[in-house]
Amino acid sequence: MDNPYRPDLMRIVGVRDETPDVRTLELDFLDREAAREFSTAWGPGQFGHFTVWGAGECVFTIANAPPLRPAGGDVRIECTFRAIGKVTNALRGLASGEIIGFRGPYGNTFPVADWKGRDLMFIGGGIGMAALRSPIQYVLDRRAEFGQIVILNGARTASDLVYREEMWEWQKKDGVRVVRTVDPGGETPEWDGEVGLLPHVFERLALGPDGRAVVVCGPPVMLHFMFLSLEKLGYSPQQVVTTLENKMKCGIGLCGRCNIGPFFVCRDGPVVTWAQMQTMPKDM
Amino acid sequence: MSAQTPRGWWLTERELREWFQQLIADGTKLVGPVDEDDLRIFRQVTSADSISLAAGKTQWSPKEFLLPRSEPLYAYTFEDGAPRLRDPEPLLADQAIVGVRPCDAAGLARLDSVFLSGTRDPHYQRRRDRTTVVSLSCVDATPDCFCTAAGGTPHGEEGADAILIPLAGRWLLRSITPKGAGLLARQRHAWPESTAEHDVAAENQRRRVEESMRRSPVMPEWPALLDRAFDLPVWQHLGERCMSCSICSYVCPSCSCFDMQDEGNPWCGSLCRSWDSCTFGLFTRHASGHNPRPTQVERYRQRVLHKFAYFPMERDGRLMCVGCGRCILLCPAGIDIYEAVRAVVEAQRNEVGASERS
Repeated sequence: MDNPYRPDLMRIVGVRDETPDVRTLELDFLDREAAREFSTAWGPGQFGHFTVWGAGECVFTIANAPPLRPAGGDVRIECTFRAIGKVTNALRGLASGEIIGFRGPYGNTFPVADWKGRDLMFIGGGIGMAALRSPIQYVLDRRAEFGQIVILNGARTASDLVYREEMWEWQKKDGVRVVRTVDPGGETPEWDGEVGLLPHVFERLALGPDGRAVVVCGPPVMLHFMFLSLEKLGYSPQQVVTTLENKMKCGIGLCGRCNIGPFFVCRDGPVVTWAQMQTMPKDM
Repeated sequence: MSAQTPRGWWLTERELREWFQQLIADGTKLVGPVDEDDLRIFRQVTSADSISLAAGKTQWSPKEFLLPRSEPLYAYTFEDGAPRLRDPEPLLADQAIVGVRPCDAAGLARLDSVFLSGTRDPHYQRRRDRTTVVSLSCVDATPDCFCTAAGGTPHGEEGADAILIPLAGRWLLRSITPKGAGLLARQRHAWPESTAEHDVAAENQRRRVEESMRRSPVMPEWPALLDRAFDLPVWQHLGERCMSCSICSYVCPSCSCFDMQDEGNPWCGSLCRSWDSCTFGLFTRHASGHNPRPTQVERYRQRVLHKFAYFPMERDGRLMCVGCGRCILLCPAGIDIYEAVRAVVEAQRNEVGASERS
């Protein structure tokens, strides 16, 4: 049976704590054929279903980019998750070497082809950065094809900021500017980044819309205020993309719960333009 | 000298029961309506005599024989620390579901368009492939019936492989698909063929039942009207009555939404699919606590719009409702989905009228 619900087996080969409750896992396919099949379909922005047997499945974005030069049949994927429910807490209880299930990649990808030659801005709020890490890696791997890159990473407090080590590596690349910010009150005495809500920090940067593509990911309330700020600075809804999140079970357009009107997030998303979002019913 | 395909066969009650019994003897899993306590429900039977083909509909549809209430999608065991995953065991028998009302057969066709177009679901497909549906035309309609308003008829053939029409104490049997022809291949030579008079009588019966149904058809422009009515206040009034019991989804022949849960422990178990409903609050609640549909108003709106707007807009205007009326009959709050649809269409027309006047 060609069973779309039966996951591939993956071994945890790396565990990295981003914050007290956010963890990144590195995963290798046990089966080379499964790895090969996965890599032929994989693009930045897609997601997968991760299984901890006995606890269940949950959905995460694939937090790394397909390698520029694939090495043999080895494919490594990463996911960044917050331990917040039954499955994510069970996943957090697993150690390097243990085996989990994975099915994917699902959904569409970021419009990376449209970004060529343009300046790029990535704006991530909290764990929303996980969805941005794949396209960030993708464009940094192909640095010459894109213009100036600004990465705006915001969190509630200094200890909630994800990818803090990697940001220094990103910052070292030519023409890449990384701005870190925490919500007012979330700073520590040692904090040397910005203090302020993401939309305010974005406005303070005063970067205009000309020739720029924007990717913004974060919780619904942050997106709401980011769109207001983007509008204020003259950005058009066509030049801004985001990713939608909804409760999912199947990931393949059948189980019927991730829809926003006739739009199924798993099948037609998760990547959408702000313009597309404006045409959707307020069912999110 | 091509053999003319007969228009049908004209069976006695006894011939019909003998046919059913022969199917069982041949190893077919026979499923049909059975009177059990005060309910009529679909059951697998071992004796053709236990099948009830009397007027009236079953308490719920036969969809569980294609989409079980709960089924494992794969099983896992851990041996020496390594997981072993297994697909479900193969199905061993063909099944024939007989006595299916035309609305329910049409409901199965709706499930087909969910599970067998786009990403095909192999679990559904393997059951569907081995299932033959013999429908049963209606000799009366209850006040909750509205198949004619939802694009069907009391003699509708959609989703059925053969149809039984009760006439004057006998049975007019027509084969509709090659599968239906296959099911009656062994016996049909022994049966008398039906005549044009039988067809006329059947047609009269259909018309008589149709004329007894009072609800006017859902019009082709309604899906688009409903889709535009998303933000209207009328949903508030409609949704407030819903108690989230979800009986409507469970008895619905076309509701296809499902949940998936691990049933088991860290050593062995399976990923199980179970029926689910958009009228449950947990259906869409994120792990973060955010819920895109926080109250019954949003949930009931989703139920109506999925069936009468989103689905038909994507699938040639066919509704995800076949007018069986069970949700109307069984809703403890007395919600009538057909009247809800009409109310929203009316509200949207008034809205458009008001904005044109201003």
